[in-house]
Amino acid sequence: MEAPYDDRLLHQRVVGGDEAALGEIYDRLASLIFGLSLRVTRDRVIAEDITQEVFLVFWERPLAYDPERGTLRAWLATIAHRRAVDHVRAEERRRVSVIGPRLFQREPERLEDTVLAGDEADRVRQAVMALPDALRQAVELAYFGGRTYRQVGEELGVPEGTAKSRIRLALRRLAEALAEEEV
Amino acid sequence: MEPLERLYLDALLEEPAEPKGSLRPQLLAGARARRRPAAPTAPWAEPYAGRVAAMDALLAAAVDDDWSRVIVEGWTLQELVAHLAAKDGLVAAGVGAPVLGPELAAADALGRTADVQAYERARSPEQTRRDWRAQADALCRHLATVPPGTAASVDGLTVPVRDHVLARMLETWIHTDDAARVAGVRLPEPVPEHVHPTADLCARLLPWTMLLSGLDGSGRSVLVTLTGAGGGEWHVALGVEDAPASGPPDARITAGVVEFCFLLGGRGDPERFPARLDGDMGLARDVLRTAPALSGP
Repeated sequence: MEAPYDDRLLHQRVVGGDEAALGEIYDRLASLIFGLSLRVTRDRVIAEDITQEVFLVFWERPLAYDPERGTLRAWLATIAHRRAVDHVRAEERRRVSVIGPRLFQREPERLEDTVLAGDEADRVRQAVMALPDALRQAVELAYFGGRTYRQVGEELGVPEGTAKSRIRLALRRLAEALAEEEV
Repeated sequence: MEPLERLYLDALLEEPAEPKGSLRPQLLAGARARRRPAAPTAPWAEPYAGRVAAMDALLAAAVDDDWSRVIVEGWTLQELVAHLAAKDGLVAAGVGAPVLGPELAAADALGRTADVQAYERARSPEQTRRDWRAQADALCRHLATVPPGTAASVDGLTVPVRDHVLARMLETWIHTDDAARVAGVRLPEPVPEHVHPTADLCARLLPWTMLLSGLDGSGRSVLVTLTGAGGGEWHVALGVEDAPASGPPDARITAGVVEFCFLLGGRGDPERFPARLDGDMGLARDVLRTAPALSGP
């Protein structure tokens, strides 16, 4: 999925050292990145640190992002997620080493380029299966079938707006389901 | 990214939350410390300042091996950066801006390049990067108060300072692209407002590139249509002393704006240059064939 024109232009400006472009990207995406970081870490202070760092890393190494390979939003979300998960794992290791015997200490898995580790991927799949049919179909067409909102609407026989709101609703349900299981 | 991962991240992104206070001022201060923004300068010099910042972003990601890898002209990345500093220094000398690095002896591009490269070889790549950036930023700061039409002599050529600086933009851009290719990095184009004045310079150079190749285009003209962001249309009189072109052009060339700039900068084979030609085909081909004539190292 290629990035939209806006993303490309903002990226071009950041590569050219335009600070105002970084401010614009921050205004547009900070609450999303903070929300994601908060969901994973459950710690507002840590989530704020991660949010800052995500935008700083993008500014410092803008050429690591390639608009041919995805949206800016997905790129920043991936960095945020990786850092948030690293933080949670480091916390878990610390807790285990304080409380329990070394017996329970496992080597952390390396995250590398995958956002989802095996178990978590299964949980996402299960959460998708548990969605009401109308929502599940819309999500499957959009994400696994690579359809646009308009195409999803056509295939389900509903207006584009309805398809879009079903997908949004499905995403919120998924977020809730994933959060519940983590507790 | 895998569809499942995208779905998962999109779900996580569904509940935006606001940090307590705005992190924005902190962010911008932090950003400045991590990577220097484009130097403040006159609006007409911003295309150059932007390319300097882009090259610096590429260099920020370079590791030891990258610096000793040959990029172009048999030069390593470190020598290439020294070459850019040398030529920036010559423009600085031409406009009375500070010239950094070894004392200015040779005032031609090749001689100054050799001097700066010899000086930088004794320094670390990171120092070379800082020296080059310091020279470029000093030039930008100085240009902030210089009128763009001010005549400046650089390497025996006296033209408005604006054209010298746009030529520096083009060369910095092209060499950043050279280095990015070797590193396997995709370099995004400059913003359209920076591409356009550079393309304008390239179009205005055509009578000179023909003349330098031994062809006199006096009395003839070509309509150059450059497509893509930052492009436009230029009706160019092909004699260096001709009045501005008027009437119907003798030939027409339509090509991508970035490709055209790179052709003038000596990248790509003119014989295989992707362009649509109309009118006097021989003239159009001559224009393209001779276009790289001003590109040096």
